Amino acid sequence: MVAGGGRTGAGAGAGAGCFPRRYPLPADEVREKNQDERQGGQFLDGMDLLKDVTENKRFLPTGVQGYPIWIIDALLGGGLRQGQLMEITGQSSSGKTQVCLCSAAHVAARHLGVVVYLDTSNSFSPRRIARMVDVFPISLVNEPKHVRLHRVMSSIICESVFDIFNLFEVLHQLELSLKKKVNNGSSKICLLIIDSISSLLAPIISGKYPQGRSMMLSVAMILKKLADEHNLSVLVTNHMVAGNGAPKPALGESWKTVPHVRLVVSRDRGSNICTATVLKHTLLASDRHCMKFAVPS
Amino acid sequence: MEIADLPICTSYRAKLLAAGYSSLASLSAADPPRLARGTSPARRTAHRAPPRRQTLPLDSPLRPPTPIAAALLACDEIARVGVDLNIEIPEAEDILKVAVCANKFKGADGPSSVLKGSQNAWDMLSDEQSRKHINTGSGDLNNILGGGIHCKEVTEIGGVPGIGKTQLGIQLAINVQIPVECGGLGGKAVYIDTEGSFMVERVYQIAEGCISDILEYFPHYQDKAPSGQEKLKPESFLADIYYFRICSYTEQIAVINYLEKFLGEHKDVRIVIIDSVTFHFRQDFDDMALRTRVLSGLSLKLMKLAKTYNLAVVLLNQVTTKFIEGSFQLTLALGDSWSHSCTNRLILYWNGNLRYAYLDKSPSLPAASAPYAVTGKGVRDATSSNCKRVRVM
Repeated sequence: MVAGGGRTGAGAGAGAGCFPRRYPLPADEVREKNQDERQGGQFLDGMDLLKDVTENKRFLPTGVQGYPIWIIDALLGGGLRQGQLMEITGQSSSGKTQVCLCSAAHVAARHLGVVVYLDTSNSFSPRRIARMVDVFPISLVNEPKHVRLHRVMSSIICESVFDIFNLFEVLHQLELSLKKKVNNGSSKICLLIIDSISSLLAPIISGKYPQGRSMMLSVAMILKKLADEHNLSVLVTNHMVAGNGAPKPALGESWKTVPHVRLVVSRDRGSNICTATVLKHTLLASDRHCMKFAVPS
Repeated sequence: MEIADLPICTSYRAKLLAAGYSSLASLSAADPPRLARGTSPARRTAHRAPPRRQTLPLDSPLRPPTPIAAALLACDEIARVGVDLNIEIPEAEDILKVAVCANKFKGADGPSSVLKGSQNAWDMLSDEQSRKHINTGSGDLNNILGGGIHCKEVTEIGGVPGIGKTQLGIQLAINVQIPVECGGLGGKAVYIDTEGSFMVERVYQIAEGCISDILEYFPHYQDKAPSGQEKLKPESFLADIYYFRICSYTEQIAVINYLEKFLGEHKDVRIVIIDSVTFHFRQDFDDMALRTRVLSGLSLKLMKLAKTYNLAVVLLNQVTTKFIEGSFQLTLALGDSWSHSCTNRLILYWNGNLRYAYLDKSPSLPAASAPYAVTGKGVRDATSSNCKRVRVM
C-alpha cells in the first residue's frame, strides 16, 4: 500500500523498469569482476559501468512482507543493492532489527551467499531467524526443512562488537578474508549488516572534539570501500534522537551523505504494523513515499 | 599477505616498506629492538655500499654545483634519513604483535573463519536452546518473556514509583540462586543500589518465600541432597548477593568499569541488577550531550559484560513525562537515545487495581502483557486475593 507521496504502485514498477533488471535467481552465474582490472589507475567508461551493474549488482531481497500484500523490496526499487550502503533508522522497538534479521534469513535461504552480522546490542536472535526460516514456503528451495535450517543458519555469521576500535579491527579482518576469498573462490560474502552502528558511534561523537567525527567518517569510508570493491551490500541501522519538534535520525549532517538509501521505519505502540518511508534513494524519484508492513512473524 | 595489508599506522607502514620489509615473512624474523633500529638485512648491505645514483654526476668536480643540484642533494639526504625506522621499541613490539595476529589469521580456513572469534547462527541457536532463563516468580510474566529473564541480554524494567520495580529486582537476585537441581541457575547476584531502596529485611522475607516454594515443588529435595539442608537457608541466599551502594554518578561509572574485573574473579555471578540506572544521572547532569555520551558508553560496557560473562543485566528505570502530540505522556526516563541501549524492555503499569507488565521491546518475542502481583513472598502470579491496590483518598 503506497500511502504518502504521489506514486502509485504502477509508477514504482515503471520507475524500477528504467534501471537494470533484477536477477533474483541465485542460479544465474554472476561473473566475477576481475579486481586487478579495476585497480592500478584503470578507468571505466559508462558502458563498462552499465555492464557491471547489469551483471554484478544484484538486488538482495529483504523478504519483508508488506501490508497487506506489498513487498518492501518494491519500495526500495528491488531490494538491497550490492555495492551500496543502506541505512534503516527508527525509534527504539520500531522494527529495525526485525528487518535486519529477516533480510539475513532471506539472503541466506536463497543461496545468495554468506551474511555477516555485526551485533552491538545483543539482539541477534538465532531463535527468531529459525522461526522465520521455518515458515518460508517450502517451494522456495527444494530441500527438507531441517536441512534447510542448518544450511541457512550456517551461512549467517555473527560477531559481537562493543566499541569502535573493535569495529575497525573486525572490518579489517573482513577485508582480508574477502581478498582471500576472491582468490580461492569459495562461498562469497554478499551482505554485511551492522545493527546498530549508532550505538558504537554515540559515545565518541561530540561537538567539542573532532576525533569522533573523523572516526565516524573513516568507518563510512571503509564500509563504502568494502561495498564497492567486494560487491557487498551493506545494511546499517541508526537511531532516532529528539530533534527540534520531531525526532530525527542520529549522527548528524555529515553522516547524512554516507548511505545510498535511507529508510525510516516507525511503529505505533501496541500494533505490529510498521510504516517504512524512504528518505533518500539514489535511483528512485525522491518524493517521500512510504509503505506499511507487518513485523514478519 | 603483504605489509601493505597490516592494520598499522600509515606512517609506520611506509617506514617498514622503505626499510626493506616487504612481506610478513621478513617481519617474522625480526625482534623488537632490531626492528626499532630499522636494520633489516637489506638495509645493512645498503649501508655498506651506497649505490651510485643518477644524481651523483651533478656534484662531481667536473661540474660547478648549481642551486638545483644542491637542492636535489638535500632531498636525497632527507629521503635517506627518512628510510630509518626510527621508532620506539614498544611501538616495534606492537607492530610485531599485529603481524603475528595476521599470520595466525592467515592460517585459518573454512566459511566460519571469515572473522576470528565469530560464531555462525547454527551454533548460536543450539547454544541458545540449551540456555536456562531466570525465573521472575510469576508464571505469566515468564511466559511473555519467553521463559524468564535471558542471560547474555540487557533487560530494562521501568515503571511508575511503587509499581514493584525494586521488588522484581530483589526477586531476581534471589531466584537466580535457585539450585540447578530445582530448575534454577544456581548463580550469584550483583546488586548495584543507587537509591538506597534495598531493604534487607524484605530480601530475607523474599528468600524465605522462595525457599518455601522450592520445598513445595520439590518436597524430597532436602532428603536427597544432604548438603541441601544447609544450603537452603535465607542466610545463604543473602550471602550470595554482592551489594554495591552508589552515591554519585561518578561512583556509578567507576563501579561499572570495575565490574569487568570483579566478574572475572567471580565467574558464578549470573545476574547484575542496577537499581536504578537513572537516579544520579537525572539530577546532577547539566550537559545533556555529555550525559548521552556517557550513558551510551555505559550501555555498551554492560552489553559487553552480559555477552562475555554469560549473565543477565537488568536495569531499572524511572518514568518521566514527555510532551507528545499535544499531550503529556509517561515514558521512561533518560531520553530517546537511551531507549536504544537495551535488548529487551519491560514496562510495569497499573491497569485498574492490577499490576501489569508489558513487553515493549524484544528482538525475538512479540509485544505482550501479563498481570502479576507483589505478595509477602515476593513477585507471584496475580490471583483475585492478592491484587489490592492501596489508594490514598
